[in-house]
Amino acid sequence: MRKTAVRTVLLALVMTLVFSLTAAQERVQIRWYVGLGAGTDAPTIAAQEAVVADFNASQDEIELVLEIVDNAQAYDVLNTQIAAGNAPDIVGPMGIRGRASFPGAWLDLAPLIESTGYDLSDFSPELVAAYNIEGEGQLGIPFAVFPYFLAYNVELFEEAGLPLPPTEYGQPYVDADGNERPWDLETIREIGMYLTVDANGNDATSPDFDPDSIVQWGFGVGYTDVRGRASLFGGGNFADADGNAIIPDNWRIAENWYHDAMWTDYFHPNGAYNGSDLLAGGNYLGSGNVAMMPVHTWYLGWGTADLAAAWDLAPVPAYDGVTTAKLHSDTFGILASTENPEAAFTVLSYLLGEKASELTTVYGGMPARLSLQESFFETFTTKLATDYPNTDWASLNWDVVTAALAYPDVPNHEEGMPSFLEASARYVEYGQRVDNNADADVDAELDLLQADLQAIFDAAR
Amino acid sequence: MDALSEIRNVRSEPRVGLREWFKLSPARQREARWGLLFISPWLIGFLLFYLVPMIASFIFSLMDFTLSAPEDARFNGLDNWRRMLFEDPNTWQSLGVTLKFALVSLPIGMGSAFLLAVLLNSKFLVGRSFFRTLFYAPSLIPGIASILIWAQVLNNSTGWVNRFIELFGITAIGPSGLRWLDDPNLIYIAYTFIGLWGIGNAMLINLAGLQGVPTELYEAAEIDGAGWWSRLRRITIPMVSPVIFYNLILSVVGLLQYFITPFVLNQGNGYPEGATRFYMINFYKQAFNFQNMGYGAALAWLMFIIALVITIALFISGRYWVYYAGEQK
Repeated sequence: MRKTAVRTVLLALVMTLVFSLTAAQERVQIRWYVGLGAGTDAPTIAAQEAVVADFNASQDEIELVLEIVDNAQAYDVLNTQIAAGNAPDIVGPMGIRGRASFPGAWLDLAPLIESTGYDLSDFSPELVAAYNIEGEGQLGIPFAVFPYFLAYNVELFEEAGLPLPPTEYGQPYVDADGNERPWDLETIREIGMYLTVDANGNDATSPDFDPDSIVQWGFGVGYTDVRGRASLFGGGNFADADGNAIIPDNWRIAENWYHDAMWTDYFHPNGAYNGSDLLAGGNYLGSGNVAMMPVHTWYLGWGTADLAAAWDLAPVPAYDGVTTAKLHSDTFGILASTENPEAAFTVLSYLLGEKASELTTVYGGMPARLSLQESFFETFTTKLATDYPNTDWASLNWDVVTAALAYPDVPNHEEGMPSFLEASARYVEYGQRVDNNADADVDAELDLLQADLQAIFDAAR
Repeated sequence: MDALSEIRNVRSEPRVGLREWFKLSPARQREARWGLLFISPWLIGFLLFYLVPMIASFIFSLMDFTLSAPEDARFNGLDNWRRMLFEDPNTWQSLGVTLKFALVSLPIGMGSAFLLAVLLNSKFLVGRSFFRTLFYAPSLIPGIASILIWAQVLNNSTGWVNRFIELFGITAIGPSGLRWLDDPNLIYIAYTFIGLWGIGNAMLINLAGLQGVPTELYEAAEIDGAGWWSRLRRITIPMVSPVIFYNLILSVVGLLQYFITPFVLNQGNGYPEGATRFYMINFYKQAFNFQNMGYGAALAWLMFIIALVITIALFISGRYWVYYAGEQK
């Protein structure tokens, strides 16, 4: 009996030792959450999986696990994970909007940058400072920027007998009669109407034009919200420095311009047409039925995958003599709830360092690292030519892409607001209302929006 | 002894409280223990998954509790309740939306299910089994799939509905046409259409009720010269009124919880013009999207109170129009 007891105790000791050793050899698991920005489109998934595989093969202390959630659900899923105490460690790529949607959830990276001696000299100091949020710390390290420029359908211009847009910032538009016009939103309106055609072949300047049977539009701003589209008229935000709701004057003008463009001049698709097959679910340029569409670099490739017509790039039009090309700037963040901040920072350093070139190419962003910017376009166009051979990528006017970085929107159109998600939902509703109603009183709707935003901001105080 | 008397006898037995428990014979105690054992899964499930969360949600409703920062949660008294009842226009707007939709959808949905059941119960219908299967089959399609299909069917420019209407010379396609899912004046009809796809269950319950109506009542009525309408109004409807009542309760509760269709079609953004910001959408957005879990809990409790009041009111009204055969008043 005693022997049996001794054997049992010994067995238990051995088992404990074995389990302890096994546990000690287990790698720290770091979860990388993708969904708040780029990285959820099918072609990017395999590339990200390859990055994860490379990392896991490179060392034996950390196991990197990739979690990709569709953008439409990503915010809610992350919310739920944070609340359930099951949050990932690293989130990205994400823009300002993604970061601002989870105030207080991010880890201040400054102590880790300092303790590891992370080299920030390869980044523009202004860009690094952009992620230093008052009261929260250094929430990110620059990863990529996505310039904004105009993409246009060459064939639709030629079909309408219109000269092509200018090729450089500051150049005028030379019309069919040889007159020089400023490349601005008024010129966009004029040529946009010529490029807007109904089923009978009448353009929007014709008295016989039928707005109920439009088959082609001149201009369309897509894949953005009210703040994004208004930024063509200059930077702004719906919240002032004191956290009060405002409607910037330039945005009030912008919103009236868009409403007229949709419902009076008809050269911009309105809400009634947005669900139509003619517009490929909002991919205006890619549908082949919209002549001009401002896009970010992340649009290139998948956005024009089905576009048979030739197309090219041009500067975005100015408003009142000032050009504003809104900028998307992405980073990766570490959630404050992580149990392994050092390991998470090791992964972050890997993604923003060794893999920065590969990942920025995958996401279609210009690397924030100065040392990588020169070779970016060569790498990027090579990849695009392989993946999307329907476009002659090398012939596009890439100069306007880099030049756009000189005209960023200040403040950025994704800048934070109190109760960010609720405020965003409210102005999205405003946009739906005016875009879907020919009779909408834009100024009255904006006044109502301001009042409602103020109530939301007040509730958040 | 008939079933009714048996139930009455059971009801007349004294309840077993703690004091009486000790007075029970060992055999009865053993029997009671087994009874508790068998019911324990439900009791445990009720405690864990209903009662505890309900109590927790009530406590949350008195707190400023943000999902992304649960550690910062703090007690804020009745602030959430005050905001919900007196300051947030979305509370009453979303209740109004739910009520407006119910006024359109409830009579159409319940009426269609009942009339379809009457039709499928008709002895003159050839191929009854086939039609019963045919009309029930859509209920077997997963809700989200059918919503997505309907979204295409009702599409303004490419949907079959508008194309069909255009055959009659009516302008249905285009911005001036019938924008079923974009027009606040048409959206409830469109959603009701989508809902009709799933009336198979209600139809089946009605059908079972209709088949339980004694045929001798119809025969006697026919001999007395009653027509179809008279038989329907004076025999069929009173005899199946418990089934109608049951469907009514389920439909009302289902409408108060209406969520999936607007969420699948618009991610709950209220499009068009806030017309689809149903109460449960408003609750979901506040609790899970905007992270205001404390405020969301208050909204959930308000819905619970409203559902409770409506259900009690329906049960009270049921005394006057629901006929239970064999009931003694």
